[in-house]
Amino acid sequence: MQASVTTIDELPAHPGGPNIIRFGMFTFLASEAMLFAGLICGYMVLRGGAGAGWQMPEALKNAETMIKTIIATLCLISSSFTLHFAEGRLIRHTKGGIGLLLLTILLGAIFLTNQALEWSNLHNEGFWFNTAGIMGSSFFVLTGFHGLHVFIGVLLLVTSLLKALGGKFTPQRHGFLECTGLYWHFVDIVWVFLFTILYIL
Amino acid sequence: MAETIVHTVRGELHGSHAHHPELSFFRKYIWSEDHKTIALQYLFTTMFFLLVGGLLAMGVRFQLAFPGAPVPLIGTLLPSWLVTSAGAIQPGGYNGLVTMHATAMVFLVIMPFLIGVFGNYLIPLQIGAPDMAFPFFNALSYWLFFLSGIVLLSSFFVPAGFPASGWTSYAPLSAHAQYNGTQAGQSLWCVGLFINGLASIAGATNYITTVINMRAPGMKMFRLPLPVWALFITAILLLLAVPVLSAAAAMLFCDLNFGTSFFSASNYGQPLLWQHLFWFFGHPEVYIMILPAMGIASEILAVNSRKPIFGYKAMVYALVSIGVLGFIVWGHHMFVSGMNILLSATFSFSTMVIAVPSAIKTFNWMGTVWGGSIRYTTPMCFALAFVSMFVIGGLSGIFMAATPVDLFIHHTYFIVAHIHYVLFGGSLFAVFGAIYFWFPKMFGRMMNETWGKIHFALAFIFFNCTFFPMHNLGLNGMMRRIADPPLYDHLRSSQPINIFVSVSAFCLGLSTIPFLINFFYSIFKGPKAPKNPWESTTLEWTVPSPPGHGNFETTPTVYHGPYEYSVPGMDKDYLPQNEPAPEKARIAVH
Repeated sequence: MQASVTTIDELPAHPGGPNIIRFGMFTFLASEAMLFAGLICGYMVLRGGAGAGWQMPEALKNAETMIKTIIATLCLISSSFTLHFAEGRLIRHTKGGIGLLLLTILLGAIFLTNQALEWSNLHNEGFWFNTAGIMGSSFFVLTGFHGLHVFIGVLLLVTSLLKALGGKFTPQRHGFLECTGLYWHFVDIVWVFLFTILYIL
Repeated sequence: MAETIVHTVRGELHGSHAHHPELSFFRKYIWSEDHKTIALQYLFTTMFFLLVGGLLAMGVRFQLAFPGAPVPLIGTLLPSWLVTSAGAIQPGGYNGLVTMHATAMVFLVIMPFLIGVFGNYLIPLQIGAPDMAFPFFNALSYWLFFLSGIVLLSSFFVPAGFPASGWTSYAPLSAHAQYNGTQAGQSLWCVGLFINGLASIAGATNYITTVINMRAPGMKMFRLPLPVWALFITAILLLLAVPVLSAAAAMLFCDLNFGTSFFSASNYGQPLLWQHLFWFFGHPEVYIMILPAMGIASEILAVNSRKPIFGYKAMVYALVSIGVLGFIVWGHHMFVSGMNILLSATFSFSTMVIAVPSAIKTFNWMGTVWGGSIRYTTPMCFALAFVSMFVIGGLSGIFMAATPVDLFIHHTYFIVAHIHYVLFGGSLFAVFGAIYFWFPKMFGRMMNETWGKIHFALAFIFFNCTFFPMHNLGLNGMMRRIADPPLYDHLRSSQPINIFVSVSAFCLGLSTIPFLINFFYSIFKGPKAPKNPWESTTLEWTVPSPPGHGNFETTPTVYHGPYEYSVPGMDKDYLPQNEPAPEKARIAVH
């Protein structure tokens, strides 16, 4: 292969050149964004159309649930920062990378656990996909889709951890870690939107 | 994952140049990561699905011509959801046939033919790349597509059979099992389309990344062959439109199985929301299915007219503007669904604006052929048929864009005629042309020209006999999706037209036989193909037929645009993209 062509071969050897893996991940995330855009637009149309029919379950409105969700949200947001600092350290093989990555996984797991508890709590109170009206339909499907994404994100983080422990990341080769990071930040941003429209507004 | 890709590509590419490690049968034919093999996997799978979709259409046409008559030969073997005990198709089963015919043709035939087969085959070869950017995801895309086909067609065997609410699956019909009667089939439809969407997204990500990042030196964006441009725009449409369908399909699945109420009016849900989500995907989808065909036709027309494409940049801008406009016209599918009159006027206007880039393309095709030294090869015949059929289908599309006209013809056979002129006369004819055109490159052998022309003549004649009279049926008031036309007083007089259409459709189905024989015979026994049988200029014709692993021995350098035919000041009548123009030559695109 001649040097002037951009092939995967050279990736990501020189920092100035285009990074195909990163480009591909951004392209994929555009698609993911459209998935959530479709769901969120549907939500807005339904909520606008339902008027008085939009009944927020008591179990979601009480202060305890709100506090728990806010804590979970803060966990998810801070996990983006811990992952960001972990990435640099893991790539350069400096101290603390593994610890920060472990912390990220822990924060993601806290978020997921909280969501599972919230779902089971709602279920016990009698709110489920088919009983909570149009509000419940939207709530469960939106948080379900997002939760699934967080779950996949945690799996990717665990895989990154195993790769890091195996010494697979070098300053030249860390595409997997970088993609995991981009994906995690994306999932995080989506939650900021979902938290706003589902819990606050 | 990303790293394994890097290692695989690196290992394979280097292997191809230095020494050739023998790949296992599994890696070579089943989980192959070579874009050419994946394209061929798509080709054979899609041809199978084409036969399935075609047979379903035969069932539809049999019922419309001879309602209540037992299906000959296989009637009594068919499952009870489809036929009565006497072997005649029943109305519910007929709905299933219509739904599955359309779903299969859109998601399992036209899309994978254009994007799976030719997207995979042409993009790396025409831009001078060794493979796609992410070969692993390319292979994954094919197998997800394969799985989606299995899931969709498996609904034949479940209780109540095929989904029966039309390929558009309008709510509330689709969202309640007590209305559509096909709980299992409709759920499988949602799952199948979701998996199909994942395959599309994996493919689209690959195509966009490859075109942007992996072009050979000198291959500027405005030197790309038009099929690559068309597939690139198509990939962007796929990337942004398909996830919305996935979201809608997931919501429909929850309505059917978990008791949510997104699309049921009784519980503050909105049936119309389904239509908005579906058509937000559905209209870009229309262009997903025609843009690659336009690119392919442009290529074939230029090569066989021995002239540069007329208005190369205008062609590119037209592709881009069709792609952009495609996102803001979806409402024209919903004029009859109840819509604010101002909104419908807006959608009407934006739809008619698309006529401008479409007309630019049509006139440019005519400008390309005008005064050329035309070679009437089989691919050229199909490309010319594409242009003329696209004009008919495009013009009847303007009828539908005008709200007052659309109100009368929307739910009639007029629209059935329209979509088949665009999708069959347009896309599928371009696909046939493309198969004849790139077959030598794919298999290293030529297809038989005489049998190709016979196939073309039969397909062209019977296509028009089948679909042109449908315009008249529609204007006579024949509704879409009815199982028994003579049941209605006003349709009894036009039943002879229905019989004529059906007989033509059977002949159209049979016209595929010479194609299939020619195709499979030529794979094994056709005359050996040279490197460049059509004397074409694009990069895929500079490598052996079929190209080896890694495509190019050394990375090609590109010196000028893709359509340098009959260049003034040259002895040869074509100038390949990897050859610099001689001193005196005056080329069209620098």
